[in-house]
Amino acid sequence: MNKILLVVERDVRLFFQYKFLIIMRAIWFVSQIALFGLIASRMISVPNVDYFRYYVAGLSIMTLYSAAIFIGFDIYEEAEHGVFEYLLSLPVSRRQLVLGRSIGGGLRSFIYVGPLIALSLYVIGTVNPLNFLVSLFALFLFAFGVSGFSITMAVTIKSSDRFDILMGVLDALIVRLSTAMYPLAIVQATNPLYGSVASLNPVTFASDLFRWGTNIITLDNPLLPLLGIIAFFSFFTFVGIIIYDRRIEGGGWQ
Amino acid sequence: MKGILYMVEHDFRNFFRYKWWLVGLISMNLADLFIMAIVYNNMLAEAVKDQIKNYFNFFAPGLAVTGLFASAFMIGREINMERRREVHHYMLSLPMTRWELAIGRVLSGGLRGMLYMMPLLFTCFFFVGFPSILQFLMILGVLFLLAVGISGLSIAIAVSTSSLEKFITARGLVYYTLFFCSSVFYPLSLIQSLGAEGKFPAVLVTLAEMNPLSNASDMIRSFLLPGFAPFVYTSIFNVVSFSLFFTLLAVFAYIKVIERK
Repeated sequence: MNKILLVVERDVRLFFQYKFLIIMRAIWFVSQIALFGLIASRMISVPNVDYFRYYVAGLSIMTLYSAAIFIGFDIYEEAEHGVFEYLLSLPVSRRQLVLGRSIGGGLRSFIYVGPLIALSLYVIGTVNPLNFLVSLFALFLFAFGVSGFSITMAVTIKSSDRFDILMGVLDALIVRLSTAMYPLAIVQATNPLYGSVASLNPVTFASDLFRWGTNIITLDNPLLPLLGIIAFFSFFTFVGIIIYDRRIEGGGWQ
Repeated sequence: MKGILYMVEHDFRNFFRYKWWLVGLISMNLADLFIMAIVYNNMLAEAVKDQIKNYFNFFAPGLAVTGLFASAFMIGREINMERRREVHHYMLSLPMTRWELAIGRVLSGGLRGMLYMMPLLFTCFFFVGFPSILQFLMILGVLFLLAVGISGLSIAIAVSTSSLEKFITARGLVYYTLFFCSSVFYPLSLIQSLGAEGKFPAVLVTLAEMNPLSNASDMIRSFLLPGFAPFVYTSIFNVVSFSLFFTLLAVFAYIKVIERK
């Protein structure tokens, strides 16, 4: 357990070395709220929904997603600089290493997004305390799941170019084919295929639960998105461990 | 003149080394158009729908300009890297004048932006409608000037920032301010009405009105979208001023910085 914590601590420390990247993400977040969110809410009209609050909540999830994905880029950086071999030589088992990295990736993104979520709560206004705590727990699992997903992809592909493009494409599709920016009913009415993808998307689950926790929308059954996030987290954390365990050795990094 | 052409060739070869990055960028642009714009089309407020009719058609020209901006800005990242790794010493040893070197860099940044933007522009034409030959030439001319200006802006930032992180942060600030305070994503009238209500700073409203990204997007829209506000020649003046200012700034700053010991 202690060794896992050491791996977690290392990854959290590593993230906060990218201070300019962190500042840039924060600028993006604030400008999305103060500029795009404010103006787009004038352009968009959704029955019974204040689009500005709706968008700000979705923005928090988009930021959490992109911060959690970043661990995969760290892995390539380490492979490029030969740090990977050093990590493999440490008295930490492969499973402890990947579990620690997955938790570290999720935790650091959560620490980073924490102040931004606080800012978004200031903009959104009232919250239901119990629902909010449940949604916060779901966001924790979501962040760990995304980190596990990023690690799994990084060690499976082993090519920084391909990883870069795949993450770019997935980011474009996963975020846009979700309810981060628009309600599911409208996505389904626009295109049933888009709607089907969006209804199974973990970003949708996280966005809907966060909005439910902040009283922006009501959910008939919040257990369903929560179960979706638990399934996503479990799959990419535990399957990720197995894949990481098998792929970590033998080089082949490009 | 030959030196400029060599620099353009050099930068184009570098550009194609980023093919994965370009594929990622183009897929993001297309996802914006074929997912976000289509869904937003079903969410438009009545007043906005009366004004722009169809968000997909409204956004397509803005997207071409967005792509142009992002790709023309890439030259700055390379120049910032060259400066940090002191590759500019090698550049100075090449048999060409400083002016050729600097003008070549600004020009190639703009031309790369044009090359990347072309598929997006033709996608826009394919779905929204084709302009007349004269309008098409005018669109190309204005977008080229805009691309050169963006390239100049990017180079000016690149040579005045000492690390990649600082460059990325400055780029982020410029990106988001110019993108969001423009008519790329939404009609200019929305920004103006927010300004009139005191909910948006007057300085940002003015920036949105003078923003060359707004001018270029609205020019394409005025040619392609029936019922859109007619094209005004003063918008070309804004783009030319922007292009001239940042091209000169970039050329002088680049020459000064690469000669610094």
